[in-house]
Amino acid sequence: MSNVNRCKLYVITGETYHPGRELLEVMESAIAGGADVVQLRDKDAPVRELLEKARALRELTRKHGVPLIVNDHPEIALAADADGVHLGQEDAPIAAARELLGPDRIVGISTHSIAQARAAERAGADYIGVGPVYPTATKPGRAAVTTSFVAAAAAEIRIPFFAIGGIHPGNAAEVLAAGARRLCAVSAVVGSPDPGAACRELRSLIERSERAASLGEAAPLGEGVNPGQAREVKEVKEVKKVKQVNEVKQVKEVTVNGVRRTTEAATLLELAAEFGLADKNAVAERNGRVARKAIWPITPLAGGDRIEFVQFVGGG
Amino acid sequence: MRNETTDKDMLVIGGTRLRSRFFLGTGRYPSPAVMLMALEASGAEVVTFAVRRVNLECAEDDSILSHFADRKLIYLPNTSGAGNADEAVRIARLAREAGLGNWVKVEISANSRTLLPDPLETLRATERLVKEGFTVLPYASDDPVLCKRLEEAGAAAVMPGGAPIGTGLGLLNPYHLGLIAEEARVPIIVDAGLGAAADVAQAMELGADGILANTPVARARDPVAMAKAMRLALEAGRLSAQAGRIPPKRYATASSEANGVLFGSADADADSRRRPT
Repeated sequence: MSNVNRCKLYVITGETYHPGRELLEVMESAIAGGADVVQLRDKDAPVRELLEKARALRELTRKHGVPLIVNDHPEIALAADADGVHLGQEDAPIAAARELLGPDRIVGISTHSIAQARAAERAGADYIGVGPVYPTATKPGRAAVTTSFVAAAAAEIRIPFFAIGGIHPGNAAEVLAAGARRLCAVSAVVGSPDPGAACRELRSLIERSERAASLGEAAPLGEGVNPGQAREVKEVKEVKKVKQVNEVKQVKEVTVNGVRRTTEAATLLELAAEFGLADKNAVAERNGRVARKAIWPITPLAGGDRIEFVQFVGGG
Repeated sequence: MRNETTDKDMLVIGGTRLRSRFFLGTGRYPSPAVMLMALEASGAEVVTFAVRRVNLECAEDDSILSHFADRKLIYLPNTSGAGNADEAVRIARLAREAGLGNWVKVEISANSRTLLPDPLETLRATERLVKEGFTVLPYASDDPVLCKRLEEAGAAAVMPGGAPIGTGLGLLNPYHLGLIAEEARVPIIVDAGLGAAADVAQAMELGADGILANTPVARARDPVAMAKAMRLALEAGRLSAQAGRIPPKRYATASSEANGVLFGSADADADSRRRPT
């Protein structure tokens, strides 16, 4: 079953934001841009129509290896074989959804205060929404919780949380700086003429924030990301980056096994070769995430990267 | 006997059937050759090791794995060096990346002097790694409630310590270890603190399903002989547990009939000082 842990950019459908364009076309563009979890939300559609949309989105998301979450309706999530359900504070309790969906599907819930966030964690939610961080037309009439709730959630909530509410590329850095590691967007993505470009912008902000966090000495060790489908898209992007890097060989400072070094290596493989590790039994980690050997040649090395090369030694 | 074991008395962990109940650590041997001989003598099928940074100044292939080529073993990497669940998960993912299976021994030390495991972080790491599809064997303190919680979190086996790592103090709390083994629905492997063969036999008599030893073998004067002694003790202890010991009693019970004892008066039972043997 899909793991919400590795998801960073959560995009929710909002058909009223893209009149004249098909739901699937908009969502496919978002996925291509790096949305790695998708939620079907449509408060007005009759159940039968909702189920049809869920099935169509299921087909699309399965093709791209992205989890699908259905808003409010555990039974539609089941019927469409979605990965999970998202609940509001006013919806059925987590326990009821869990009973219906079983232990393997994802159950998420919106929270608007740290007390609700704690309660959701205790009740066994797989993730929570934290917001609305900024006022939003998607949830009119709900007071914004500001980034202070984001900071509070970052400090004490252990399950993944997605900051949501009025987030767009122009303010995402502020939300990430407050401690969010995952973002959720609706209008900024599906209301954009180019949903893919909006997603790419948000993802690059998330990645920049992760890199900054992994550089800070006091920053917590990253939960990392499982090697998974999301990576495929990223690898392709990184190949492009490598090509650019290769044209101009730059000296950069990186930290290898805890020691700062300067190197001209453009990729992880070139760096490994500098230490005679290119054909050894070593395993590598880049900025807190496993970098499997197969992608060393296409993993670009950037200034400030933290690389670990590890091996097995005797132990009990 | 637990339902995990079969008629042939095999130990089953995470779907893998093991002939040997001896888990051997690979650290601190006098040489790789001695380690391999000790491994042979122990009969162990599961070997543990640790994940460490490559020495970049001399990147020879000194990986422990180079010594195990063409042996059929189950590899159990530990997360030693981790101080919290995040670090343990990172180490586990790196270990899995080596392509030697998905077993992991969660080992999270809270205190560098005792190396005693941090129960809360161990539970957190176990929950997360189980969700990520690892076969998780957490090293834990000998607390029956914690061991139960780890089992409920999906641990494939639970490994309570007899005493702090490398101390050789034996089983400090046999009562707890006995309770843990009695209540467990997953295999219990007594890990850490064993000193010699007697401790291994005792662990098995208490109902453990297996033991893990490293330092008492590796640092014994003769590691190969100790590996063999522990293998035999393990077998003896398990047989003893299955045979069913007599309940301890406070006073003696003669092993021969009192009737017909020499030198006795006709009413022998009146003379309590007589001690027929």
